[in-house]
Parts: sequence; structure tokens; C-alpha cells
Amino acid sequence: MIQKILIANRGEIALRIVRACRELGIKTLAVYSEADVQSLHVQLADEAICIGGPRSSDSYLRADRIISAAEIADVDAIHPGYGFLSENAKFAEQCESCNIKFIGPKSCSIKMMGDKAIAKETVKKAGVPTVPGSDGPVDTETEAVKVARKIGYPVIIKAVAGGGGRGMRIAHNDVTFAKEYHSARNEAEKAFGNGAVYIEKYIEKPRHIEFQILADSHGKILHLGERDCSVQRRHQKLIEESPSPFLTPDLRKKMGKASIKAATAANYENAGTIEYLVDAKGNFYFIEMNTRIQVEHPVTEEVTGIDLIKQQIRVANGEKLEFDQSDIKFEKHAIECRINAEDPARNFIPSPGTIGLYYAPGGHGVRVDSHAYSGYTIPSHYDSMIGKLICYGRDRKTALERTYRALSEYLIRGIKTTIPLHKAIMSDPVFIEGKATTAYMEEFMNRTPPDLFT
Amino acid sequence: MDIKQIKQIIDLMKRSELTEFAVEDEGFKLKIRRGGNGLPVVSQTSASNHPFVMPAAEQPVASAAPATAGTTAKDEEGIVYIKSPMVGTFYRAASPDSKPFAEEGTKVTETSVVCIIEAMKIMNEIQAEVKGTILEALIENGQPVEYGQRLFKVKQG
Repeated sequence: MIQKILIANRGEIALRIVRACRELGIKTLAVYSEADVQSLHVQLADEAICIGGPRSSDSYLRADRIISAAEIADVDAIHPGYGFLSENAKFAEQCESCNIKFIGPKSCSIKMMGDKAIAKETVKKAGVPTVPGSDGPVDTETEAVKVARKIGYPVIIKAVAGGGGRGMRIAHNDVTFAKEYHSARNEAEKAFGNGAVYIEKYIEKPRHIEFQILADSHGKILHLGERDCSVQRRHQKLIEESPSPFLTPDLRKKMGKASIKAATAANYENAGTIEYLVDAKGNFYFIEMNTRIQVEHPVTEEVTGIDLIKQQIRVANGEKLEFDQSDIKFEKHAIECRINAEDPARNFIPSPGTIGLYYAPGGHGVRVDSHAYSGYTIPSHYDSMIGKLICYGRDRKTALERTYRALSEYLIRGIKTTIPLHKAIMSDPVFIEGKATTAYMEEFMNRTPPDLFT
Repeated sequence: MDIKQIKQIIDLMKRSELTEFAVEDEGFKLKIRRGGNGLPVVSQTSASNHPFVMPAAEQPVASAAPATAGTTAKDEEGIVYIKSPMVGTFYRAASPDSKPFAEEGTKVTETSVVCIIEAMKIMNEIQAEVKGTILEALIENGQPVEYGQRLFKVKQG
């Protein structure tokens, strides 16, 4: 019976976990760095132990100190939140061997899904569509053309040793393929010292749509619908919503089924997310599974009415999920805006500092998950997200208008935030029409004058 | 170049995307560069004897001075504290029947072992990292300690 939980995280998610524990009557222990002494969740938790200096590598990533704290405070379970050690299979294993319940999946599931190649193979075997590609590097032009034709153009040629968007070339047909293939190889050789390349189908302007999974330790695996996270900047999500304006009920059913197949193949327990790319024709492809609770989980909570953090704790406690797939209803439309301490007018430069006046919006259909408060100093050592604004209503139009209204009331003085950017997006016709793909942000920034963000 | 002009330059840098600005004049050199967190960092050398009173440039966020493992913090004159470099259980001696490593009056050097902190069944010997005389042990035997917690009060020297 879990009676005390150590929260191995910080910021808004730590606060979220404290709140869920409070409602369940479970005691909380906050572990924190010296930079987070004044953090809200540290003040609200029942107990708090300092585990290191300001740098994450000296505190939130110190598994030894966290487990030490867990032992001296006699906790029953650790909630890792997201980021930090949440997808560290070794940490989950250490908890298991110290008889402390890790609130998340088994360490073997984390390991399996953490290796992108193994994850892809595993779900492919289970019948989940994955991005078609060559099985490994392709060393000759003849072989490469064969693969490209089999996959179907357009294709992307990627360096095996690559990264950061470098060593990638797109070919649209047989005619240009040879040239792109050799260019990619040469670039890869020059940049990474390894000219080996592999080929994948190039999905043009895809939507990023993910499905929330919840599984108990008694074999029940459910999906709680999707979140459309296509509005991203440099692969960082800015806005998430559910339901996706693009999915038809039929596609939703197909993707939901596939998600449960994927989670089953991973032997999954607790909360997780299956991520897909979806093209304009409605073809969907598995890209990865996140074996943790996600930043954007409140979107699903407001649409389904299910408290995901509480469910995580219940599952970790060995309880059975009290509902079935047919009980899960999608009753609302919810939109989440990530409020970051960044200046959108100056290339999103981080804006740490002390918040002067902080006033969060409220009213019908407005939820704010934030650890910020008037006078709070945002430390410069961690990510720039200071809160999430989640607005919901009976349909998308209501959610959009409500989000705009709430953003207009949201006051955070003393630092720059992305609030004006979100307001601009909420008023943008492309977003309003539900036409945003992962190509949206770049296109939007190119045509929007920077003074709209101040 | 006077204070007003330097302020103007700093303002200009803040409002623009300039990352570096340098100017040289008779007996005077000024260089302003964007710091790691995007705020201008000013450095100046002046051949003249006039002490420059620099405008209080926006300071980067003052986070709590990081206490590195085992280092001490100054209190009154000559008084320092030995702080815990880890999370665990504090023991004053190697075993229940042994003498404590450090008591009031014990003289310590940087490498003297002052206590044991047990973490995950491993006994870690903690060194003083300071030279002086123990004035007081601040934690009771067997108590849990957190990172940065004061363990001993020491008179330096």
C-alpha cells in the first residue's frame, strides 16, 4: 500500500504530482536542488530533502542521491515525472532492486522502447505500421534505387551516423535519386566520417498525432484517445489539442487499435504514449513510444475526465483499472498552450528572471498548471517552461475562443513569455481551420511580423 | 567616452541582435559581448586613473551560490561550516563502540575524516576540506542529512 511518494522532478509536474497525492491521502517527499529552494512544490510537499547543486547533473539526475533520500525518508514509491530519470531503465531497475515502487512501466519495457530500432521492430511484428525504410544501411546505388522504388517516392536518404538534421537528402523520383544518394553519402563522409546511409519514406508535412495508453498490472490495456501536437518549433511542442481536427472516427479507431497492439507488444503497464506521423491521405506511421507521463497529459484529462496521475499511482499500487475501453468517452475539446519564459520576437531566447506580477486566468473551462507565482525567480538551469494553459469546451470553436480569452487575461510581468505568440496563433486562419501540420510553425513565423509577439 | 554613451551602447545591444561591440579610443578600450544567457557582458580597461562607475548592468538571475561537495560557507569572522556532500545517514564514528572522528576541540586538516555518511548501505568517509578546530557537531548520531546541510562548525586556522 503506497503511503509516501518521492517526487523525483521539479516545476509544474512536481506540483501536479503533489496535488494528486494530496487528493489520494498519500504523503509527499520533494527532492530538490539548491536552485529550487523557493519552488512551490517544495513548499507544499509534506517533506523535502535537498539533493544537490543547481545543475541537473548534480541533482535531479543523481539517481544515487534520490534513492538515498527515498531510503532515509522511508518512501514506498518514486514518481519520476517526465524528462530527467523518467525513461532511464537503469534507474527503474535500481528502484525495483531497492524495493521502491517506480511509478511507471517495468524497466524492461523502458529499455525495449528506448532503443528506437528495437521499438520499431517490436511494433512492426505486432502489425503496427512503421515508416517504411531500408533495413539498415544501403551501400550501392543499384540496391538503393531498388529500395527507393519499393518504398515509393518521395524518400529521404539519411546518414547512419547523422543527426541534427544534417546528412539528409530528399529525392522525389528516379531521375534525381542517384544524384541525391551520392550527395548524401559524400556529405555524411565529410561531416561524420562515415558515409553509410539508409533510406526511409519521406512523409511530407505530416501531422504529429499521439495516442495516450493506460495499462494496469492485470493485463488490461486501454487507449484514451489522441492528441494532435503538430504545432512544434524545432521539434519542441508548443500547442497540443484533442481531438485532432484531422482524424475521422474511422482513422481514430484504427490508430487506437494499433496503439493497444504496440503497448501489448511492449508488455506495458502504467501510462505511456504512442507517437505517429500522419500524412495528408490518412496513412499513419509509428515513430516512437514514450514510456512515461507526458507534459501534455492534461489535454487528455479534460477530454476524457480521467485523472492520469491518480491512475498512475493506482496502477503502481497494484489496483485494477475500474473502467473499460467502452467507458471512455471523448466529451470535450481541449487545447493546451505551453507557456515558456522565452522571447518569441528575439528568436525565442530564454528569458529567466524574477516574475513581478503573476495573474493566472480563470473561469469556466480554464485550467492552469503552473508553479509560477508573483515574486518567483525562474532558475536559469532548467527548461524554460513555466506553465501550461489548458482550455476546454464542448467543441473546438469554444476551446479556441476560450483559449484566446484566457491568454488575454494571463499576466506575467518581469519576463518575456510565449503568451503573445499563442494569442497570434489562436487568431491565425490556418490554425483556426485545423490545417496545421508540423510545417506550420516555420511558415507562420515567416509571414508574421515580430511585433505581433510583444 | 562617458557613462551616458556606454549606457546608450548597452541599450542598443539589448534592442538589437548585435552579439559583440568593441571600441578603442585614446587610453581607453571597451568591449561588450552577449553573455551565455543573452545579456550583454561589459569589460573595460582604462589607462586613465578615473575609476569608472559602471551602470549596474542587468544581472543574470542570482541563483543560490552552489555549494560544491564538502565546501564550507562563511559565517562570522574565521568561522566556517563543513557541509554534507551527499544525502544519507550521519554517523560520528566508524562503529557504535568507536570514538567519534571529530569532537569539540579536535584539530582537523583538509583530509581529516570527520564523520561517516551512509548512503544505500555504503559507508562514505567525509573529509573536513578545511584546516582548523571543530567547535561543534551540529547533527546527532544516526540522523538523516541532506545535500548541503551543515554538519560541523569549525574555527579556521
